[in-house]
Amino acid sequence: MKLSRRDLLKLSGLAALSPALRTFSQETAADHSIEIASTAIELAPRQVVKTVTYNGQVPGPLLRLKEGRPVTIEVTNRTDMPEVVHWHGLFLPPDVDGAMEEGTPAILPGGAARYVFTPRPAGFRWYHTHTMAMNDLSRAQYGGQHGFLMIDAHDDPGRFDQEFFLALHDWRGYLLASDDGAMNPSYAVATINGKVLGHGEPLRVKQGQRILLHLLNSSPTEVHWIALSGHELRVIALDGNAVPTPRVVPMIRLAPGERVCATVEMNNPGVWVLGEVRKHVKALGMGVVIEYAHESGAPRWVQPADLSWNYEQFAADRTAGPSSDDRIGAGSTVIPLVFEAVFRGHGAMERWTINGESYPDTRIQPLVHGQRYRLQFINKSIDDHPLHLHRHSFEVRSLGRRIDADSSAVDQRDLRGIIKDVVLVDAQTVTEVEFTADNPGATLFHCHQQNHMDLGFMMLLNYA
Amino acid sequence: MRERPAWRWWIALAIAVCLTPMLARAQGNYEIQVYGAETVPPETLMVELHSNFTVDGAKFPADGVYPTNHQEHETVELTEGLNDWSEVGFYIFTSEQDGHGVQWVGDHIRPRVRVPDSWGWPVGLSLSTEIGFQRSAYSTDTWTWEIRPIIDKSVGRWYFAINPALERTLHGPDVNQGLGFAPGAKISYDFNRVVSGGIEWYADYGAIDNIAPIHGQQQQVFVVTDLNVSPLWEINIGIGIGATGSTDHLIVKCILGRRFDWGRHSAID
Repeated sequence: MKLSRRDLLKLSGLAALSPALRTFSQETAADHSIEIASTAIELAPRQVVKTVTYNGQVPGPLLRLKEGRPVTIEVTNRTDMPEVVHWHGLFLPPDVDGAMEEGTPAILPGGAARYVFTPRPAGFRWYHTHTMAMNDLSRAQYGGQHGFLMIDAHDDPGRFDQEFFLALHDWRGYLLASDDGAMNPSYAVATINGKVLGHGEPLRVKQGQRILLHLLNSSPTEVHWIALSGHELRVIALDGNAVPTPRVVPMIRLAPGERVCATVEMNNPGVWVLGEVRKHVKALGMGVVIEYAHESGAPRWVQPADLSWNYEQFAADRTAGPSSDDRIGAGSTVIPLVFEAVFRGHGAMERWTINGESYPDTRIQPLVHGQRYRLQFINKSIDDHPLHLHRHSFEVRSLGRRIDADSSAVDQRDLRGIIKDVVLVDAQTVTEVEFTADNPGATLFHCHQQNHMDLGFMMLLNYA
Repeated sequence: MRERPAWRWWIALAIAVCLTPMLARAQGNYEIQVYGAETVPPETLMVELHSNFTVDGAKFPADGVYPTNHQEHETVELTEGLNDWSEVGFYIFTSEQDGHGVQWVGDHIRPRVRVPDSWGWPVGLSLSTEIGFQRSAYSTDTWTWEIRPIIDKSVGRWYFAINPALERTLHGPDVNQGLGFAPGAKISYDFNRVVSGGIEWYADYGAIDNIAPIHGQQQQVFVVTDLNVSPLWEINIGIGIGATGSTDHLIVKCILGRRFDWGRHSAID
């Protein structure tokens, strides 16, 4: 089935009748209010950007919700462009998920709407705009519309003394010719929680504390690597979902849209830097000072010698070997998805296709309610892609097989237990994930790089 | 970095084209290039060989200068990136011609700065200045200086560049001429990721305050192709015609460049 722009508009129009998202002038007070408006944000001394924010701050306000308890969030759009807020990582109906492609109505300029939903699952989620930027590298995710969304479970998530929410973001984008022969966004400033290193307040800790870091990469396009000098990070959750095998790591890699939760034992008093590992990105400002009580002096940064990260280390321990029924793909329907770039000139960004089709001229992939599916991501491009599935979580089942490798000849590890909603698929490799179609309705799948989704890297799946 | 299976063949083809004029034992101008605004990255050396053969040029000596007809010019250009907004280039000019053998012609040095990408300007802008010596057997003006603004822009498949260069003779008959105006421009179109084709225009109008009559101007138009086989390689091939009596009538040119990263470029850097 082909989806035309007219179909999309029709879809949006129907969704406007949804009880979940209402324009309003009545009703009781909302639980939370968000105002979308243009704001001047000081990233650093003499470094002010005029951007669109939530409630005049970057990141937007932390929304702390209870799993399973209905909530009403009132959103007012004070900009001159239509807006929509996507509740990233939640299992919501399509008319309130926050993607116009799925049918969530836009909030028109000067208008307002109420998002009414029951948040689940528990964990570290986030919310952000889901609009297009195209060649305007100040709009949509290039701007300041992102905030933390914490869905608290009924039970205690674990022992910690203090928690910090940190958002990695890149600013003042410009197009730069890159080695792939096309234009790609590059950035002049990189921040944590909207401030360059040394400009914001330090994170104040005490010796002996265990802190919990909730790290979010809200960058429009960039992967980031984060380390905390003098300390180790114990990763306990990916994309808000507890990992089967928590690991102590020297650094954390986050692709756009990804979240990582990590605990840190504060056992090395001093003043330290938590920041980007790569020198040229850290030089743009991506860092924050961690300051122990009663300690002072210049913040210390110990430069790691190399990059280190893989998802596999957090998978379930399979030393006993897989059983026959949990082989990759056993009992699931395979959907191969081939990603390719289309050259549009050395002075333009590439267009993207999934199975040869570029959104919105794409087929809608039909699903069957209750069926288990295996999405086979075949990345034929030379770019890595952070792939996001709306309204569902998926289980990562295999990673990193070279695209030209014979799958039968490759000794590939069968992964279990890594539950995510964004996975970074390396260039020229195949990654497989599985999910159960248990949340009916239009479901958007896309690359979380803003320029890629703007230029066709999206498709819809649908089931009743 | 994308490297296509066919890139070695493209480079081999370019080398063959560049060497063909040498095998024919001939000559032309020294560096025929419209500059783009981009500079060589730091800790990187760009090595370029400019091979220009004058198929149909001046047939008789003038003011003690060898005729250009069937001259083969080989110019080695070494450009080192200093930081992300500046570079310095060094040229070694040579000429080969029947009866004269291979001769060293001269050397130039060319510092260049540009507006950094992070400024987000809508066009690329850089400024180069070039000073150097050439032997009197090849140019009556032996010491010259040039300042060259460079403006370029890529829009989709189209590329535009203009170099409104100003020249000054420091030693030679034209020392009192003042500033000369020698602009160049380029427009090209990307047929695909590898092959671009376009037009380059080169002119010399003489003194800026005393523009030469048409027949005394130099006017050349080249049909060129750029082969973007790899980020490490630069290949530009063209054939140009001279439109005035003061211009060599037919020139074949080839630029073959290779980028060498000599610094430490780990993932951390």
